[in-house]
Amino acid sequence: MEDEGVPAPLDQRLSPQERDALVAEHGLTRMGVRPPLRKYVRQLWERRAFIGVLATSKSQARNQNSYLGQLWAVLNPLLNAAVYVIMFGLILQSTRGMSNGIAFIVVGTFMFRFFEQSVVAGSRSISGNVNLVRSVHFPRAVLPISQVLSELTTLVPALIVMGIIAFSSQYIPGQGPVPLDWSWILVLPAVALLWLFSTGCAFLVGRWVAITPDLKNLIPFVMRFLMYGSGVLFSITLRVGDGPFGVALEHQPVAVYLYLARAAITDEPSIPPDVTMWWWGIGWALAFLVVGFLVFWRGEERYGRD
Amino acid sequence: MTERGADDEIDFEIDPEDLEGSGPVVTEIGAPSLVVDDLHITYRVFGGKKVSPTPEEKPSFAKRILTSGRDQLGGVREVKAVQGISFVAHYGESIGIVGINGSGKSTLLRAVAGLIPPTQGAVYVSGEPSLLGVNAVLMSSLTGERNIMIGGLALGLTQRQVRERFDEIVEFSGIGDAVYLPMKAYSSGMGARLRFAISSAATPDILMIDEALATGDATFRQKSKERIDGVRENAGTVFLVSHSIATVEAMCARVLWVHKGRLVRDGPADEVCEEYKQFVRQVRERRKRDARAKS
Ligand SMILES: Nc1ncnc2c1ncn2[C@@H]1O[C@H](COP(=O)(O)OP(=O)(O)OP(=O)(O)O)[C@@H](O)[C@H]1O
Ligand SMILES: [Mg+2]
Repeated sequence: MEDEGVPAPLDQRLSPQERDALVAEHGLTRMGVRPPLRKYVRQLWERRAFIGVLATSKSQARNQNSYLGQLWAVLNPLLNAAVYVIMFGLILQSTRGMSNGIAFIVVGTFMFRFFEQSVVAGSRSISGNVNLVRSVHFPRAVLPISQVLSELTTLVPALIVMGIIAFSSQYIPGQGPVPLDWSWILVLPAVALLWLFSTGCAFLVGRWVAITPDLKNLIPFVMRFLMYGSGVLFSITLRVGDGPFGVALEHQPVAVYLYLARAAITDEPSIPPDVTMWWWGIGWALAFLVVGFLVFWRGEERYGRD
Repeated sequence: MTERGADDEIDFEIDPEDLEGSGPVVTEIGAPSLVVDDLHITYRVFGGKKVSPTPEEKPSFAKRILTSGRDQLGGVREVKAVQGISFVAHYGESIGIVGINGSGKSTLLRAVAGLIPPTQGAVYVSGEPSLLGVNAVLMSSLTGERNIMIGGLALGLTQRQVRERFDEIVEFSGIGDAVYLPMKAYSSGMGARLRFAISSAATPDILMIDEALATGDATFRQKSKERIDGVRENAGTVFLVSHSIATVEAMCARVLWVHKGRLVRDGPADEVCEEYKQFVRQVRERRKRDARAKS
């Protein structure tokens, strides 16, 4: 009934020849075509300031609606670590046989939490920024990068707290020493590698979840799986042994970064500094970053349709 | 207007302030800046419910129980928002888009701006279009100041350029010190003004305005008209979606009428607007008649 009084639809379609001639004559370009890789990378590089501002704004906005505000950026990982230290370290004694179980669990949970939050944030790259995506044009890879970067900015104060707790834990009876030495510096490159790796993962889940939103629901389970499979709360070597399965678990990316961070901070005899582990860490970070970026770029044309 | 209906938002009253220096400025029509070729946009909607063909006939109780679960499973529906629209726009043109609610105007603009990938067909442009939509909320939990920075950078300005234009943007938006408040504390008009100021800070080749002027007051409309004319004088192309026919007539020389995702009229503003108004009047009268028949 609403159609009454509406003129018949117009058919102003151009023939392909007419259209091509028009497009060629006036130098028009087709909209929404995925740019070639090099151009895409260049556009992304030009938007680096945008990435930075977006990341810091996000982390600022995150804890704004509470009285303690930014303090939560530190309190959250702290409480998270406390839960695991109490349940696993003290009650279940999952770190039996380690020299300082508290430092072990604290470093593990802080680092793993950063990874987990980055992946969750990455999965929201498109859906959480749909207003921005639907109103301005920019390479969408800006979004996962800035999501993870924003997690990194909240990790920095948390890292200091992590260091303080790990250091103080040696004064608790029964906990081994955690000497403050030069090796602590190595936690920075370890975090940097973990950050690159997480960005790669954010690219992957960013695309998958944008295309198939259902996958979002699987993330918590995959994360739980990774948490136990990476020895966040117990030592893989001591619990699983060093058979082929144990070795494989130890060299999967998340476990590698936990190893590097722990080798830097704690003084566990079972976690000696290890150069090959650094190579593993670099390799995983680059592999995930490159593959993730390519996968995300290939979906560029599809983001924002629904 | 005494009654409510689909035509509610269409206001025929012409604010004299709106029309000061009335009519769109006449600019030279240049080369084509935009070619829209048989554009189709289909949304994928999750969580929709299948519409049964005969709603009067209720299914039996047993059947309802059996199928109730299925409604919740995989409720993916397709909404064909734009179904084959083609037109060519030129430099120096300002084009109004009219149509009833849900006819696909916003979708068309977003697709033309390259923000929604077409399901079929293509859009060819020269330069970078920029869209200025009502819901282009940048980040409501952040201050206007922060949003100016984000918006400016998103539009491709450098940080320096945004800082240089900051005062001008705040000036133009006219919201004063409120710029240091989070945007969620803004009234809808204030938000619209700030968005308009941000989006027009970078002079785009193609400017698209989706009802962004609707909530502004008379001064603001006057100011924005000047900006729009400015874009056109710089040989840009302007698209304007508005439910206020008066605004469209005042700002546009050409009007597209979109109905249910199809283009039904494309021509000079006065002709198309006249026809559209007539259509709206007709709908309204039919409504009245139906209402009378019922009572
Ligand atoms: N994000 C979306 N997801 C799914 N369907 C959508 C979405 N946005 C719009 N639609 C559908 O597309 C159709 C056209 O919507 P659109 O917003 O383009 O209408 P409009 O002409 O701008 O209406 P209005 O005058 O109310 O602004 C409608 O049927 C609507 O249901
Ligand atoms: Mg609309």
